[in-house]
Amino acid sequence: MNRVLAIALNTHREAIRDRVLYSLLFFGCIVLVASLVTREITIGDEDKMVRGTAMGAISAFSSVMAMFLGVSLVWKELERRTIYTLASKPIPRWMFVLGKYFGLMMTLGVSLLIMAALYVLILGLGQGLPVVSFYFFLGMLFLELMLLTAWATLFSTYSGPTTATAFTLAVFVIGHLADDIWTFGQQAEGLAMRKVSAALYWLLPNFELFNIQPEATHELAVALPRLALAAGYGLSYTAAVLCVAVVVFSGRDFK
Amino acid sequence: MTAPSLAIETRSLQKIYYSGFWRRPFTGLDGLDLQVPRGEIFGFIGPNGAGKTTAIKCLVGLQSPTAGEAFLLGRSAQEAEARRHLGYLPERPYFYQHLTAVEFLDFYGQLFDLPREVRRARIGSLLERVGLSGAAGTPLRQYSKGMLQRAGVAQALINEPDLVILDEPMSGLDPLGRMLIRDLILELGAQGRTVFFSSHILSDVQSICHRVGLIVGGRLRAVGAVGDLLTAQVAHMDCTVRVPIDTVLEGDPIATCGEERILRIAPERLDGLLDAVRAARGTIVQVQPNRRSLEDLLVEEISRAGTDPQQPMEGQGARP
Repeated sequence: MNRVLAIALNTHREAIRDRVLYSLLFFGCIVLVASLVTREITIGDEDKMVRGTAMGAISAFSSVMAMFLGVSLVWKELERRTIYTLASKPIPRWMFVLGKYFGLMMTLGVSLLIMAALYVLILGLGQGLPVVSFYFFLGMLFLELMLLTAWATLFSTYSGPTTATAFTLAVFVIGHLADDIWTFGQQAEGLAMRKVSAALYWLLPNFELFNIQPEATHELAVALPRLALAAGYGLSYTAAVLCVAVVVFSGRDFK
Repeated sequence: MTAPSLAIETRSLQKIYYSGFWRRPFTGLDGLDLQVPRGEIFGFIGPNGAGKTTAIKCLVGLQSPTAGEAFLLGRSAQEAEARRHLGYLPERPYFYQHLTAVEFLDFYGQLFDLPREVRRARIGSLLERVGLSGAAGTPLRQYSKGMLQRAGVAQALINEPDLVILDEPMSGLDPLGRMLIRDLILELGAQGRTVFFSSHILSDVQSICHRVGLIVGGRLRAVGAVGDLLTAQVAHMDCTVRVPIDTVLEGDPIATCGEERILRIAPERLDGLLDAVRAARGTIVQVQPNRRSLEDLLVEEISRAGTDPQQPMEGQGARP
């Protein structure tokens, strides 16, 4: 595992020395702070509006970072040919894929923590410290990022960043519309349509399972079984996608 | 299984690439049989596109062969663990630009599970050996091409490998850089390590290798000690003779000074020329056989492969 950790730390170090990450993080923090403005343009429930906007910003910018960094995760190694010296070391391909993946998750985790700390600061100064549901929100968001990054990594193992971005974005959007796809599909008259929608629903991820932002915004309690189900689903689905990524990457030649 | 005395062995190694919509095949390697014993400095030469880099990539695990087998130090080259005692420098190396030389070497040391203390000691000595001690803390993005090549050599040696594979290690280096690499290869050879390297700089190959392999069109055309390959094949004879001015002799005149002429002639036509000189009551001053250079051999093999790529080289088996 030391070798996986070494690759992960190198990936993390590369990301944190990249100006793009700082730009995204900077804009994320700006939007977080700007959420205070919503207080001025809201009549009643101003605190709730600030919480909702700020959590939305954390969620959106984290997802953008996961997609943006994830789609070029493996591709960059191939494009810059750094893979030549790496893959010629006693490193099985699975170690490489996992190392890259964990390195990016490390970076996303740190970014998430920075934005969460800013959120706590903003709320602490205005309306008191956030309740426990906010921390559950962060946990669920991280699970969603894990799954989204796994998909981005999978696409990155066999395609360039443009194609990988398109595919990852499609998975992200469909994943957030999974319940709607099921509902509308089952209402369709044609059998084929019903089958296609069912297939999409079961094959593609359901990111809405991780969405507890409404509860966190309204400072409501979240049922632990729901969190446990989402965690189990997220971790096993992520593991499965990473396994596919390893299989795809293992068959690749480096020309 | 492969013989434990071999550092590298390939058996009928074949690599076919498919390109385009119709997946048209292109043969990169065509049944490469090669054996490199441990402790040998082996030069791998051939024109661009001959299959040198493809063969090396199959050996170091960057590509899977379409058919055949490759072994490194007795283990299948497809196993990651076969690379534990391997050092590899790719052609035109690219490295992590965000790292300093120390971080870069430390990272690669970790990939071999080397303890921190061992890494620290080796990094210092390696940077000194390749002349980068003064730039140890500089990010690689600020390195010149020659410095990057040196850093690449250092990473290839971080695990003190038994087998070092270098793909065009002297490419793009100034004379000093070339000398450094040449000395390093000789030093590794003196330490009993196996060095396998490809190069276009034939004079270097000729001067430092125990044996060379010549690959053209994905096939090994010749392999052997440089001396054996070239001694066996005299390119031409330069004959200095003294004959009456009006004597007609075969051969290409190189210089004429009064009755003395220097003629260049193919070895098989030498007897005829000498008989003609004697018949004309002339004097044979000097007969000088000129060995082919590695370059002559390479050019000849390329043209031979161009006319009949299936024809193996005469007088030299493909196996050592």
